[in-house]
Amino acid sequence: MSPTHIQSIGLLIDICAAAILVTAFLIVSSRNLGFYIRLFALQSIFLGLVALLVVIGYGEMHILIAAVLTIVVKAVAIPIVLTKMIDRIQVQKEVGFSINITVSLLLCGGMVIVADSVAQSILAVQEGGGSAVSRVLSVSIALMLIGLFIMTTRKKALTQIIGLLTMENGVFLSGLSITYGMPLIVEVGIFFDILIAVLILGVFVFRINKTFESINIDALRSLRH
Amino acid sequence: MNQIVTTIATSLAHLVLVLAIAPLVTGVVRKTKARFQNRRGASVLQPYFDLAKLFTKEVVVSSVASWLFQATPYLVFGSMLVIALLVPTVITPVPLHWVGDIITVIYLFALGRFFIALAGLDTGSAFGGLGSSREMSIASIVEPAMMLAIFTASVTAGSTNLSIVVERLSASPLAMMNPAHLLAFAGLFIVMIAETGRIPVDNPATHLELTMIHEAMILEYSGRYLALIEWASQIKLVVFLALLSNMFFPVGMAATWSPWALTVGVGAFCLKVTVLAVIVAVIESMNAKLRLFRVPELLMVAFILSLLALILYFIIGA
Repeated sequence: MSPTHIQSIGLLIDICAAAILVTAFLIVSSRNLGFYIRLFALQSIFLGLVALLVVIGYGEMHILIAAVLTIVVKAVAIPIVLTKMIDRIQVQKEVGFSINITVSLLLCGGMVIVADSVAQSILAVQEGGGSAVSRVLSVSIALMLIGLFIMTTRKKALTQIIGLLTMENGVFLSGLSITYGMPLIVEVGIFFDILIAVLILGVFVFRINKTFESINIDALRSLRH
Repeated sequence: MNQIVTTIATSLAHLVLVLAIAPLVTGVVRKTKARFQNRRGASVLQPYFDLAKLFTKEVVVSSVASWLFQATPYLVFGSMLVIALLVPTVITPVPLHWVGDIITVIYLFALGRFFIALAGLDTGSAFGGLGSSREMSIASIVEPAMMLAIFTASVTAGSTNLSIVVERLSASPLAMMNPAHLLAFAGLFIVMIAETGRIPVDNPATHLELTMIHEAMILEYSGRYLALIEWASQIKLVVFLALLSNMFFPVGMAATWSPWALTVGVGAFCLKVTVLAVIVAVIESMNAKLRLFRVPELLMVAFILSLLALILYFIIGA
């Protein structure tokens, strides 16, 4: 494949990675649960695109299935499940923040810098670093950190699911960037795992809502008494 | 000697173009909004008629107002004129490009804002002070976001001179698609909405005390003073649209003074500004004004987008 070809694939991967990071930040900046789900679907589409670009640019055919699965499972199936859940429990807004949005955004900005310094030290020991995909490693680590941050600072159970899924997207992306994806059987296992996890968590959230009339996880504290 | 004359003549031509199309752009935004609301709306030329009428009207000045109140319209209009001279519109480099760079432009915006806020306080009306305090608190977040977005573009181009940034970018079309560049564009777009006082940050069409920001500061102005300030804010809109379109997508800009290149340049500029103006109108029609306490969140998104752009530039590189 010609060098200019590789270069333009690299540019497209960079754009998709930037878009993934932006969707993560938009999730942090918003308080509308429906919007979270749409953003997550968008993020997964861009993730699928990165995987497709790896297939095209580096000829790793086994990623093709993972790419298709990403789009089908994460961009279509999981958002549908989550949207149905919102419709059933009639909750639209995230109101419980342990840290307000403005400060959250700044902290997440700081996390990107931390993620980059971590990624640089990983890439320094890896041979053949510096390809377009390995540059994405910083973005993937940042995505994991932001996902964790969403899980720890938001109080609605549904938002925490979104945080978990964002982290999972980060893990998939880091797999892509370091080794061009994990073996297919592992990937398929993870997708199945995630889908089932979301289904179970969905039932869980519904039950929490029924018992406590809220999906605010602070309400779970009353179980102690 | 001859060179001085050409520089002055071309600068004047450049300035006249910006001054002349400024009300038209505002007219296009208003017309598009009217269409969205299923109204026919006033003609796109209406802002010209408004300005002409205001210039002939009598000026009423409060008896407690100081000289500051009367000097401000000229200062605001003057700073916009200088900015209009520095920002490339149809041709690059602009004739006076050596006079100042991006940082000058940012501070000229700040100068205009500073005096308009002072004038808002000067008459002692409650609304003026309210508008000034809101404007300044918003500005404190908008300015860093704007600087970061603009610096990202200048880091990519390796210069803070606007004309050189535009020139280097149009030489390498691939750099326009750089993710850092796209993010900086998104950041600066939100900054533009806040700076020009449009929905969802401020509503230019309201005089309701709960919501107005920019209008509250200029509430005491009338006659030709009001006309100057209105015209200045119309120029501000055009200058921001020119910054957005030419710093990030300098397609079709003229590099020489040949008639053909100029025609293409003017055409491309009008097209880009119209597209952006329509986008602004669409955003205005589809969103409600944010509550004042939510505005910092939106502006923080702009700041973070610009910050991410700068970080991504160093992560991914150009």
